Amino acid sequence: MSDADRIETYLKSLARALRGLAESDRDDILNEIRAHLEHRAGEKRLDEAIKALGAPESCARGFLDELKLQTAFTDAGPAKTFGALLALASRRLTAAAGLFVSGIFFLFAFGFAATGVIEMVTPDKAGFFVDQVEGVYVFGAVDAPGPNTRELLGRWMIPVAAALAVLSFVAGQSLGRFFVGLMVKRAGPRAV
Amino acid sequence: MVDLESWKSQLRKGASELVILSLIGEQAASGTQLLDALAAAPEIGLSDGAMYPLLNRLEREGRIAGRWETPKSGGRGLKKYRLTADGQAALKKMQASWRLFRDDLDAALGERR
Repeated sequence: MSDADRIETYLKSLARALRGLAESDRDDILNEIRAHLEHRAGEKRLDEAIKALGAPESCARGFLDELKLQTAFTDAGPAKTFGALLALASRRLTAAAGLFVSGIFFLFAFGFAATGVIEMVTPDKAGFFVDQVEGVYVFGAVDAPGPNTRELLGRWMIPVAAALAVLSFVAGQSLGRFFVGLMVKRAGPRAV
Repeated sequence: MVDLESWKSQLRKGASELVILSLIGEQAASGTQLLDALAAAPEIGLSDGAMYPLLNRLEREGRIAGRWETPKSGGRGLKKYRLTADGQAALKKMQASWRLFRDDLDAALGERR
């Protein structure tokens, strides 16, 4: 077999192994390998060159592997992109849920603290009110307690409100940390 | 028993990109010319089968640009590569980073010698 024939045989197998690529990309590779092999043939080193390139299939794998490496960072396929987006969205969702839940507890903390302060300033407007006729329980401040309403805590309202405020604050903080922990765990998959 | 060959191949992976950018940065060259230039440096370990895929990727990434050139004496042309502006910037950063790495590695090895 002549050198030219051996080069054609090699290139045909290489073209087959590269059939997954776009035609222009494949031709570009084939032209370059052809130029390389013909140059080596001119130096009487074709045997050596074919051996150094490896079997056409493994040579093709080299190109495909490098291509994969590149596309993973640039134009990833829909599944990969969707997965990355999902991961991103779930982190956002976690952040939103965390903000909401811990926000509610912080609001409670503020509410209890305010109730304690109102109890100090105007004792008759804040407290734990029970309307025995209507069966309504109110913990906090009311503008004008109704005629059937009884207040249960008296001056104990101040330490109870303070304790509830502290408890709510701690709960809000712990829940916030819990959600931040969840987000850190999910930080693995990055957007492409 | 240390698998020396697999360890060496890990070492070479990052280095081969720097070597190629550096050689092309000195002078525009084809894959064949780069392989000839590296024939005297077998420890770099960049085979023919690894050279062309690497050039292909670097070109796709826009760090080098290839152009077919026909020799004045006639005959088949060669695809010669030059550094792009991106390639030049990458080469500078990689060289600086490599020098720091080499100095730290030398120091670490020196202490244990």
